[in-house]
Amino acid sequence: MLNHKKLIVSHAPFWHDGSSITDRSYHTMLAAMPAVLFGIFTYGMPALGVVSLSISFAIIWEFLINKITKRTISIGDGNAALIGLLFGMLLPATSPWWLVITGTFVAVVIGKHIYGGIGGNPFNPVLIGFAILMVAWKDYFDFNEVLVNYDLGFAMVYPLAAVKHLGTSGIEAFSTTDLLLGQQSGGIGSTFGLGLIIGGIYLILRGFIRWEISVSFLAGIGLTALMFNMSDPSHYASPVFHLLTGYTLIGAFFLAAEDSSSPVNFIPMLIYGAGAGVMTVLIRNLGSYVDGVVFAILLMNLINPICDKIRPKALGKVV
Amino acid sequence: MTPKREMQIAYILIVVLLFVGVISYAAFPAKTPDEPIRLMYKTVAGKVLFDHKTHSADSGYGLACAECHHHPEEPEEGQTANVSCGDCHQTLEKDQKWPESCLDCHEAEDLEESEMTKKSDAFHSQCESCHQEVEAGPEEERCNWCHVM
Repeated sequence: MLNHKKLIVSHAPFWHDGSSITDRSYHTMLAAMPAVLFGIFTYGMPALGVVSLSISFAIIWEFLINKITKRTISIGDGNAALIGLLFGMLLPATSPWWLVITGTFVAVVIGKHIYGGIGGNPFNPVLIGFAILMVAWKDYFDFNEVLVNYDLGFAMVYPLAAVKHLGTSGIEAFSTTDLLLGQQSGGIGSTFGLGLIIGGIYLILRGFIRWEISVSFLAGIGLTALMFNMSDPSHYASPVFHLLTGYTLIGAFFLAAEDSSSPVNFIPMLIYGAGAGVMTVLIRNLGSYVDGVVFAILLMNLINPICDKIRPKALGKVV
Repeated sequence: MTPKREMQIAYILIVVLLFVGVISYAAFPAKTPDEPIRLMYKTVAGKVLFDHKTHSADSGYGLACAECHHHPEEPEEGQTANVSCGDCHQTLEKDQKWPESCLDCHEAEDLEESEMTKKSDAFHSQCESCHQEVEAGPEEERCNWCHVM
């Protein structure tokens, strides 16, 4: 048995395959571009302001915290820029500047650097920043309220709020095609379903995110929403509606699959993704929040270390 | 990409996007239209989203402005014709008979005999009477038809 050579490792020097965190960060940002550009096109200059300020301040906070803690300046890896972009994508276009600056501070400093920087964060930094702000200033995240001055030619009521308060009779104006093509109100980069799906497929094909997490997250949402829908179709929306509204798609491809806060083994990835999906629909349908993606993923971030205890047994045994 | 190049890109992103962000916020603030599109009323019983455009536009219910904005009935020259509901129908302090905004146009002694309908009563009566007239009214104890609870 011991003579079987399963892995042969040659001595140094090794050849680096060229992949890097920087590549990963900027490719993820590239994948988010269709959705971001659509959001900027839809909401105009205010949306551009939010996204730009969010990215630049996320990098600035990382630079400052590196300086203060006397660590190597890590802004070159693009991770801070990515956090800023994703945070900006979740925000409404009318977010005030101080909300963006505070949010990026919480995301980068409290969500990431307190835990030792990239790779050490147990929670998704973007979601930590977003959740803290959403609890602190909830009115700024009520899309029905903050977007009252926008008239974009489609039903401007926030779809998830409509179904929560009015039941399925309140969402008859939304067709699947419209939702897929971003004809709905919401976060700057969270409404263009088709763009997010294209970005997600790109990330999966390039190996930047694990398909197991995204697919199980979507399946968790779909199946749970289906059960609710079958039990009471007048109150609970269809699975397709849940899959195309709120933060579902940005959550599946850009938030849940964040590497440091998600599992690495096959079964744990499925548990993590499906668990977040189930929790999302439970919060949406039974909880007090309109959307549940943010808290559902954070909750599954919490059990991620336990999930990863389920792992393949090591070959052989020590006597 | 060399580490030096990576840092250069990060610095460029900071400078360019900070510039774009500041300019966007400073030069292109979110506009408030002259005529409201939607209004969000915050009440103690939950928010109420009112679609102003659907009520006023010809493609919607096509209501005349004066059907809701009833004061002043005959505006004088230079006077604002459509006073916002909340300008007059306010939640008044104890011992306050009318809101301060009345004094913008009226003398205090002219208001001695008048009494202002309080905000919640004015809104409930205005919305409900019209909605019930067209049989789209909220049913008894169905506050959540309008109030987000």
